[in-house]
Amino acid sequence: MSSRGSSSRITDEEINELVSKLQSLLPESRRRNIGRASASKLLKETCSYIKSLHRDVDDLSDRLSALMATMDANSPQADIIRSLLRS
Amino acid sequence: MLSRTHFIYISACVAAFSPSCLLSFSVAAMQVTEAFKHAFLKQMLLGFQASAVSTNSMGIQERKNAIKLSADVAMAVFRGSRKWTRGLIAGLSEKQQNRSFLQLILGEQYERRLMKPCYSSWKIPRCRTIVRRSLRVCCRRQKKKKNQSGVLARTLVEKRTQQLKRLVPGGESMDGLSLLDETLDYVLSLRAQVDLMQSLLTTVESSKLRSHSKRTLTERKASYVGK
Repeated sequence: MSSRGSSSRITDEEINELVSKLQSLLPESRRRNIGRASASKLLKETCSYIKSLHRDVDDLSDRLSALMATMDANSPQADIIRSLLRS
Repeated sequence: MLSRTHFIYISACVAAFSPSCLLSFSVAAMQVTEAFKHAFLKQMLLGFQASAVSTNSMGIQERKNAIKLSADVAMAVFRGSRKWTRGLIAGLSEKQQNRSFLQLILGEQYERRLMKPCYSSWKIPRCRTIVRRSLRVCCRRQKKKKNQSGVLARTLVEKRTQQLKRLVPGGESMDGLSLLDETLDYVLSLRAQVDLMQSLLTTVESSKLRSHSKRTLTERKASYVGK
């Protein structure tokens, strides 16, 4: 380890915490409540979770786009948006 | 929907960590309160307005890209200064067509963000040690498994780490713990983004249905009166 002061050392405990937090975010481990996964499994699931979130955003953008296409300035939807912006 | 208690728990854990120059935890990290959601949504809608998303002149694909851009910028702006948010803005700036929007939304902040030092040229020797230690910590839990594939496992971890670096914006220049920290934050923000877009969609869709059924009811009434 470097010669830095002890206050800046990162302990195994802290690494542990980060890893378990990340694991608790992943949908699979929430469903089945597995004991701690291996590093590569954790990374693989994190990657696929991020990819699925990206796909969700993409899909939602498509749907919002279709919805807004048929929205004109006088419709109630435009009103909702205007009221959200005002508040 | 994200639960408030989930985030408060995380913030509390985060507050218990000792500070270090690599980690940029803060107590108010990600408290997803109503105010947060509201401000994020507002930021996104402002973006929609800025790119005139509700006019008929846009094609569907163009509008979709504008919506996605607004949502991503809102997410980055709202989260504030993190490695991944800077990476996200930098990535978006690479495309010429995004720049005027970024300039509009971010204003002078945009210039400042671009001027930030590039982390990829930093070599943080400590990080390699940390990566090795975090691998050891994870591998210790595999005690029961036959470890003849020790080298293979390490290569696999390397490969997956590379994949993760490509997925998290700005990830290429992150090392070890920093990558994990940023990933955590990024995933939380992505989830908030998805939730918000979903609620917006639901709200607009349902109000559309209501106004449509009201209209057809009115039309039907009018046709009865006419008879």
